[in-house]
Amino acid sequence: MLFTWLMLAGLILLFAPQNITNRFQFAFARTFRWPLSIGRSISLSARSQQPPDDVVARREYNQLRNYADNLEQTLIQERKRSKKLYGLYNKYIWDGAEFVLAEVIRASTDGPSFELIIDRGQNNGLAKDQFVLGDDAVVGTVSDVWLHQARVKLITDASSNLAVQIGRFKAVMKGAGAGLAKIELAKHRVRTGDNVYAVKKPAFLDSPIIVGTVINCQSNQEHPLLWDITVKPACDIEALEGVAVIVMNRQK
Amino acid sequence: MRWFRFAVLVLVAAVLQAGLLENFDFKPDLLLILLVFFGVYCRTSDAIITSFTIGFAADLIGPAMGPQIISFGLFGSLLAYLHRVIVIRKMPYQALTIFITGLLTGVLAHLLNLLKERVPASGVWGGLFGISLCSAVIGPFLFLPSLWWMRIRTHRPSRY
Repeated sequence: MLFTWLMLAGLILLFAPQNITNRFQFAFARTFRWPLSIGRSISLSARSQQPPDDVVARREYNQLRNYADNLEQTLIQERKRSKKLYGLYNKYIWDGAEFVLAEVIRASTDGPSFELIIDRGQNNGLAKDQFVLGDDAVVGTVSDVWLHQARVKLITDASSNLAVQIGRFKAVMKGAGAGLAKIELAKHRVRTGDNVYAVKKPAFLDSPIIVGTVINCQSNQEHPLLWDITVKPACDIEALEGVAVIVMNRQK
Repeated sequence: MRWFRFAVLVLVAAVLQAGLLENFDFKPDLLLILLVFFGVYCRTSDAIITSFTIGFAADLIGPAMGPQIISFGLFGSLLAYLHRVIVIRKMPYQALTIFITGLLTGVLAHLLNLLKERVPASGVWGGLFGISLCSAVIGPFLFLPSLWWMRIRTHRPSRY
């Protein structure tokens, strides 16, 4: 019984908010600050008698540690990029295609326009109308290019027109906002769950790549023989942090 | 059980641990040594209370409140129940008990710290092994002054 109550008290301490439990530690440190400081100064003076070759100044130590931490983070980032590129090159066997990895600087996914600003531009071989992949699916095309940045028009943007195919049937998909795209007045009925692919486009895309899936297909109200198809992107665009731009036949 | 003397002993150990021994890499855990000491020399109910109290003191000087009180309380209580069956009086056995208890409490406290997202950057397992080993080497020798301070008389088996 005693054990149970004490264990319960321990669990309460464990799961209590940190700002409350910290008060115990601060109270202890305040109460015993004099003996604690004496003990620390004694131990520090004992340690400082070590050979000077093994010791660096605190500032230098902090600088070196920060440098090492930054280097470690850079290494992690580079490993991620390398892994991503390795995966891309092994998935799509296209002659002359290159993938330029880019980070998303700014994303507009809930306003009038749906677009991304990425940190790669003309300097990296980017050009207008190139296809942009996110999570191995087409998320948009390059609409504007500057020297070091580019704008990507997402497939959900109202002004986006992308040639797509569902099975053997081809159509033009437009952005519908709210994270969706649509194909209006389609001649063929498709099933919910069918994949939608971007059709190949010479000099830009050598083979079809998935864009999204059909989530709704209903007959048009004005033209009952034609169909309105709603498409959900295959990639969670809002969660995108990086993209890959397909650069075909890049001039070295 | 002399509770006032116990409180003074635990406070002194906590202050020494957080002050004097703080800056050393290879150091004993005085509170761990006390945990095993009271587990070995006290009655079961007293040992349970001392385990949680020492755990609380370890939390006061640790990275977060909670992990040590649970790990010390749990393994201190287990040690107290084990003491009902096995009497640990010889110094090598006491050292081994300190070493094993140190590893177990350290691992559990580390896992609970993970739960609270208060994790030391690196070298946790190496540090844990070093502290347990150092405590095991020094601990049995600290039992003697602790026995004197707590006025605990060890039972000597009669010749007859």
